[in-house]
Amino acid sequence: MKLLIVDDSSVVRRAIERDLESGEIKEVDQAATGEEAVKLYAAKLHDVVTLDITMPGMDGLTCLDKIIGINPEARVLVISALRDKATAIDAIKRGASGFLCKPINPSELREAFQLLIED
Amino acid sequence: MDDQDIQVFITGVRRYFDSLRAGEKVVIEPPFIKDDERPLLEYTGIIGISGKAHGAVCFTANGLMLKNILGFLHESPSSREMLCDLVGEIANTLSGNAREEFGSDFLISVPVVATEGNSSFRFPEEGRNYVIPIIWQSEKAYLLVCLH
Repeated sequence: MKLLIVDDSSVVRRAIERDLESGEIKEVDQAATGEEAVKLYAAKLHDVVTLDITMPGMDGLTCLDKIIGINPEARVLVISALRDKATAIDAIKRGASGFLCKPINPSELREAFQLLIED
Repeated sequence: MDDQDIQVFITGVRRYFDSLRAGEKVVIEPPFIKDDERPLLEYTGIIGISGKAHGAVCFTANGLMLKNILGFLHESPSSREMLCDLVGEIANTLSGNAREEFGSDFLISVPVVATEGNSSFRFPEEGRNYVIPIIWQSEKAYLLVCLH
């Protein structure tokens, strides 16, 4: 299984990678920007993507549109500090498979990840 | 922005420090208004706010507190770059979480990080500057809410 972690914070990217460490994940890529994430996703079609929203340059929702444009079946878990319902609903309507709020709760993250990969 | 709105940020601060599962609860001292100067510590993450409100939300802390937080995030050793990354991410989290109450029109920028209180960020001249003192693991930090 290939995982792509997209967040402008390297501390958050590493925390997500540690939280999701398991035998199922064989390859992890990280991207600090939406632009980098789209390129990586187009090249590797990762099984799961975790995606921040507030990032410099291309924001996460635009990045989500582009990933879904590449693969409408992409499994994208949005992980954002934006704790309002409208943003979560917007992300789901655009094709996200799930939405988690920061600060990240590791057990919630693992649970959401399991649901995604079992889907 | 009034005293009641500040409670939204206090809730966010509690949530953030609780998420570290440090065992020790964060202490939040009574917020106060300080319009003449801003108590900026070694590292400051600044989030510009637009839309429903205008101004900035800043999280400012000394390196020691940030290193302690990184320890709970299993990051070690910590570099100056990591401390800047973390202080910006905390400011982003506390600002973004406030949208739970203020809604999606409360627009937040990506973080700008200042060190040693040196910031070229233009704080709003109008409005109140609320200071929320935070004590965690014997270290002090402040959340500054400068909005109108």
